[in-house]
Amino acid sequence: MDLYEELVRGPGYAVCPIENMRLFKKLRDSFLDKINISTESKKNINTARSAIVKMSLAEINSSRINLLTFTNLSDMIINSCPSLVETLCGKELFIQRRAHIIFNVPDKELLRIWNHYEMISGISPFTYVLWAPLHDLDDDGGAYIIDQKESLEVMKKEEAEGLVNGPTVLNMMEKQKPARLKFGQLVVFNPFVLHGNVQFNSKFARIACNVRFQSYHKPLLQKNSDYLKYYRLP
Amino acid sequence: MSTATITTDINIGPFKIPANGQNMIMNNYASRNNLVVEVIIPEPLMSNALATTQWLHKEKKLDKVILCTIHQLPVKQDRIDKLLNNMEDVEFHFALEGISGTGRNFLLECIKEAKMFMNAKTIDSTKTTWSKLFKMKQEIGTR
Repeated sequence: MDLYEELVRGPGYAVCPIENMRLFKKLRDSFLDKINISTESKKNINTARSAIVKMSLAEINSSRINLLTFTNLSDMIINSCPSLVETLCGKELFIQRRAHIIFNVPDKELLRIWNHYEMISGISPFTYVLWAPLHDLDDDGGAYIIDQKESLEVMKKEEAEGLVNGPTVLNMMEKQKPARLKFGQLVVFNPFVLHGNVQFNSKFARIACNVRFQSYHKPLLQKNSDYLKYYRLP
Repeated sequence: MSTATITTDINIGPFKIPANGQNMIMNNYASRNNLVVEVIIPEPLMSNALATTQWLHKEKKLDKVILCTIHQLPVKQDRIDKLLNNMEDVEFHFALEGISGTGRNFLLECIKEAKMFMNAKTIDSTKTTWSKLFKMKQEIGTR
């Protein structure tokens, strides 16, 4: 099955290599410059990960505010995988205006991402998410994804009960096992597959980036210029 | 020289934002970006000419204006021309998009982007279901 079929009719997600590692490493260096939490002269992703673990929730939040200046993050993620993006959506796109860098911090319940469909935010059903860690994932700090068939069964059951992201979805979290990706790998998924994080033990926080994109020629749902911008692949 | 926020009609392109909501959005943007708002300009409803703003600019010499979104910029060419001629030296901020800039090219880019969003099809989320959205994706495809 090719990538497009896998994403549309198959499991709804796939693990792929990052195409332009030089750019992706530059992205990671920009992150380290902007977050500015490592005191060492040579900035290193593991020093940042270990510093984040020791920070309070307020300090983590304030360091994330520093990342608001990372205005070309979306473009950098998209340009790290141009062929993949073009295969799924063509060259003319709406991409997320401000991509996210997210932390999963051991023992900090509030930073855990609950089991959810991307659709709950109002993005179009024609959207995909690229999610990539900024380091190897050697523990359970990554993201798990539940395949499209199982996610759809839950969605239909909830719809019949008039619910979205209700107890059935939330109770699925505990038995999940996040994928152990390497730095240089990403997972791409459609907005109908359930995904989230689990609590984990580690001396390091997990740091990953993600961006959403759709074809410019496909309809929007609730997200508009507040969230998306027009972008044409080179 | 002063900074102004501009409220407009509740119907703003794809959004519906009451004036007090617009004020909250713009004041939050101002605070996050260390901007001090001195003038509050209420544009009349059912007009996106930004004529009151242009008239006040002549008198108060605004140096920065904050709007909620690029969708509040004029659509008709004659109104766009007037805005560009009268306010090309003013720094425009658009809170929801989180972008800012000065000059004719910046404003024309914003107007162009607003037009692209207005030309895009939008699914009415009040008239669909999760299953229908899934079916739509499967049938139409994503590219």
